Order: sequence, then C-alpha cells, then structure tokens
Amino acid sequence: MKTPSLLVETHDLTFGFGPRRVLQQLGLQVPAGSIYGFLGPNGAGKSTTLRLLLGLLPAPAGSVRLFGHDLSRHRLGLLARVGALIEMPSLYEHLSGRDNLEATRRLRGLPAARTAAVLATVGLAADAHRPVREYSLGMRQRLGLALALLPDPELLILDEPTNGLDPQGMADMRELLLALQQEHGKTILLSSHLIGEIERVATHVGVVQQGRLAFQGGVAELQRQQRGRARIVIDTEDAARCQLLLPAEFGAAALLGPGRLGLPYQSDEQLAYLAQQLVLAGQPLYGLHCQQPSLEQSFLQLTETAPAR
Amino acid sequence: MNATISAPAFPTQLRRSLAADALKLKHTPALWLTLSSGALPVLLMGLTFFFKGQYLLKPGQNPWPAYLIQSWQTATGLLFPLFVVLLSSLVLHTENRALGWKHLYAQPLSRGAVFGSKLLVLLALNLLALLVYAALLLGSGWLLGLLRPELRFADFAAPLAVLPPLLLHTYVATLGIVALQYVASLWWRNFVAPVAAGMGCTIAALTLMRWEYIDWVPYAAPLRTLRAIEPKAGALHVAWTLPPATLLALGWCGVVLLIGYVLLGWRHEGARR
Repeated sequence: MKTPSLLVETHDLTFGFGPRRVLQQLGLQVPAGSIYGFLGPNGAGKSTTLRLLLGLLPAPAGSVRLFGHDLSRHRLGLLARVGALIEMPSLYEHLSGRDNLEATRRLRGLPAARTAAVLATVGLAADAHRPVREYSLGMRQRLGLALALLPDPELLILDEPTNGLDPQGMADMRELLLALQQEHGKTILLSSHLIGEIERVATHVGVVQQGRLAFQGGVAELQRQQRGRARIVIDTEDAARCQLLLPAEFGAAALLGPGRLGLPYQSDEQLAYLAQQLVLAGQPLYGLHCQQPSLEQSFLQLTETAPAR
Repeated sequence: MNATISAPAFPTQLRRSLAADALKLKHTPALWLTLSSGALPVLLMGLTFFFKGQYLLKPGQNPWPAYLIQSWQTATGLLFPLFVVLLSSLVLHTENRALGWKHLYAQPLSRGAVFGSKLLVLLALNLLALLVYAALLLGSGWLLGLLRPELRFADFAAPLAVLPPLLLHTYVATLGIVALQYVASLWWRNFVAPVAAGMGCTIAALTLMRWEYIDWVPYAAPLRTLRAIEPKAGALHVAWTLPPATLLALGWCGVVLLIGYVLLGWRHEGARR
C-alpha cells in the first residue's frame, strides 16, 4: 500500500516563551486523509503547536511544512487551504450567527452560498438570525466549526472542538468529523484532552509530553506497541485459593478482586496452560481473556514517565 | 511560485478585509458614537444661543460667524480629540472582545491588509462624524432662525463656503491623534489603557496651549485650526493652506503609523486572545 503523503510536517520544531521551553524538536507528521488525534496533558504544548502550524507564532527553530510547502515562505497561500478553530471560537457577539460567517466569507472572498451550506452542516440554520450573545456554549462551538469549514478546506485544524458540548453534541461532532474525513476526504488535526473522543475517531495519534513527542503513529500501531502491557484476566471462584494451590503459576499474579486474578500476557500457549492447570486443580473457570490497554491507559503510561509541569 | 499556493494580491486582500470590517460595524457602539457624538455639543450650543443669544450677539450682527467659531472652539478643544480616542479604542475592541485576532491572522490576509483596513475604517468614521457635526451645526442655526427670528440667523446666509476648508483643516489636524490612538489600541489590545492615555494627553495638551512648542503636540492640533479662521468684515474666511500645527499632525500620523506597523510586527498571537 502506498504510504500517504504528509499534509502537515514539522522538523525539529522548537519554541519557548522567554526562558521557558514549550516545544523541543517536535517532528509532527499528519498523513493526508487521516484524523490525527493530538494528545497531551495541559501545558504540554498542544495549542502552541497548532498556533505555530498556522503561523500565529514564529518558529525560532525548525520548520513547518503544510501540503509539502514551507509555511514561512507561502503562509497566505497555504492558509487559504486550511480551516482552523483555535481554543475558544472567535465570535462577534453583537452580530448574528449568519453575519459572523459572512464576515469570514468576505475576508476569504468565498461564494455567498457557502454561508448557508456550513450553517446546514453544523445544524445552526434555524438559529442563524439570532445574535451570538444568545447562543449556548455548544452552539458557539458549532459556529466556530462552521467558520473553520467555510472555505471547504483540505486540512482542518481543530483545538478542543468538543469543549462545552453535551454528550449528544459530542456524538454529533464525532459523526460530523467522521463524515468529513470519510465522505469528503478532509484531513483533520484534532487536539483534545478527551482521550475517549480521540479513540473513537482518530486514525493516527500523536502524544506530546513536555514539548516532545512521546508517540506518533497509527492507533493500531500504538495498541501493538502497548501489547507488551497486555494482561490475562482470570475469573474464578476464589482467587486467593488459586494462588495457594498453584504458586508457580499464580504466585506473582495480582489479585484484582475476590474472584479475579491478573497477570502479564506472554503468549496464547500461556493462556491454554493456565486454563488447564486451574481445571486440573479443581477450580472453576468462569472467564479467561486477554485485556489490551485502552488508548487512555496507553496515554497515561506514555505521559506518566515524565513529571507533570 | 506554485499556482496552487498563490495568495490573493494585496488590493484584493484589503478590499476583502474592508468588506468584513464594514459588516462588523453593524450594531456597534463605534457606529452609534460616530453618528451621535456631534449631537450633544450642537444641542448645548443651540440651547445657549436660544436662551442667551441676545447677550452673545450684537444687535444687527450676522450671527453665523460667532455661532460657528464658538461651536468649533468647543468641538476642537475637547470633542474631536476625545471622540478619536474613544472611536479608535471601540473599533479595535470589537476584535479584542471577540478573541478575533487569532482568527483574523489565521486567514489568508497579510498583516498589512488587516492594519490598512481597520485604519481606513477609522479614518472613514472620523470623516463621517465631522460631516455629521457640520450638518447638525448648520441645521441648528437654521432652526434657531425659525425659533428665534430676532437673532437673525435667517437673515444671513450660512457660511457654507468656509466649511470645506475648515473641515479639511480639522480633519487633517486629528490625524496625529488617530495614528497614536490606533497604534496604542493595537498594542495594548484592551479598551481602558489607550482611552486613559488618550484622555490624559488631551487634557495635558489643553493645559499646555500657551507653550511655545504646542504646535508639536498632536492632541492640541485640532484646537489650533481655529487660527485658520479669519473674520473679515463680519464674514468668515478660511484659507486652504494648512498651517504648521496641522502639517505637523500629518507628519505625526505618517511617522507613528510607520513605526507602529514595524513595532506591531513583533507582536504575535501566542496568548489566549
């Protein structure tokens, strides 16, 4: 399979506010057509990275390439192909939702029909005439997304787009992002602190910790990498009794509950052997499965190695 | 350069930015201030002449020169400088309140287009306010002619010929303040600091009015335009030639905008705004 080309690529991207280092030699690689989940604890440098990708901050060291072109040389031309929502949406409260979109539509010189199209996409057509000061947090977030979608961009850069959304709003946003990627071929770079949300939509993940990339790759690759951390979970009648009866097999196992044991996964043969030994010892076996770490567990493992700032 | 990543030309960017900025003015205090700021001083001066006009004018005198000079004195001393101070902050505060700068600079627009567009909006609103003020002043004079015929406003022609050069002088004289307040508002990105600084400078300029170098103080320039008005045989005359204080205000405008534009280039969208 042909390796997808990279829509966003940074090399040794370094940035600091005064003496405080925020990013160190960041090498972000966002494949075309992907939903790239950009994860990291608060203060890890996610928003700063996204601002650097849009040229809102100058990169003192390293480079940013969008669509294969150097951002510092072709900033305006490249920004014409990008839609962005950075932190809180930029909204003029005294204007209606429609006029907010109109202002950006005029700035970009887009066809008038785009305003109605994005209002329909984010489900705000019925409220478009209302002043934004009357909008709920979720409606503002959707209007912010509409602003990003207005130029029908090839690349969407979204910083915490589910902020302030209720569970239904989050589900709608997830559906919308998946539709944009799958049906319209958009590439989406998405930062979020909600790992569960990223896990449901992302095809690729980048984990940033203290300004450095702790992991970058496909979600499946992350799970493969974490397979060494998979464990076998056994459900039986009396877990403590099993440990006494079979000290060689379960002596070092962790007691997860009165009837549950956990121990590191090694191989499928190990699974079969353990089941056999339990049955031979006369212990009932109610359940036996291999538990993969979730993306959240992987994320926590990747980010717990360095102390939080 | 690759055609797929070409940026729109600067005039196109400026035109687009202007179209957006014009829309953003809708329902803003900046627009209301522009349209209404001239009404209060005109109302006060009109009421003064309505009730006390007989003491302010000599019998049989053409009332228009006195009415215009007294009104213009009040307006140029305080109204116009404070109006510019408030207006520049209000125009830019629209972006501050909306956290709009990061959105604006993430669009395919150069810094120059954003800077130029908002400056043009400010200049246009400043001109509109001056024109509205002049129209209200003339209207109030005609109204006085109807309500107080003994003041003889209706018996003399309004000094329409002096208004274009007087408006030119006054408008150019405000440009130094426009530039300083514009750059200050862009730099501070809040409403209070540039307004406080501008009010302080206006008051300081008024107190320094007898200083030999007062022509160099841009906040005093509007009031100095009064020197261009020459009453001749009961009528008014204003030369088109700009006096030194007005030319210096124009110089301030050019220098401050240039330096401000360079300095603002160091400002980036790193903070939460």
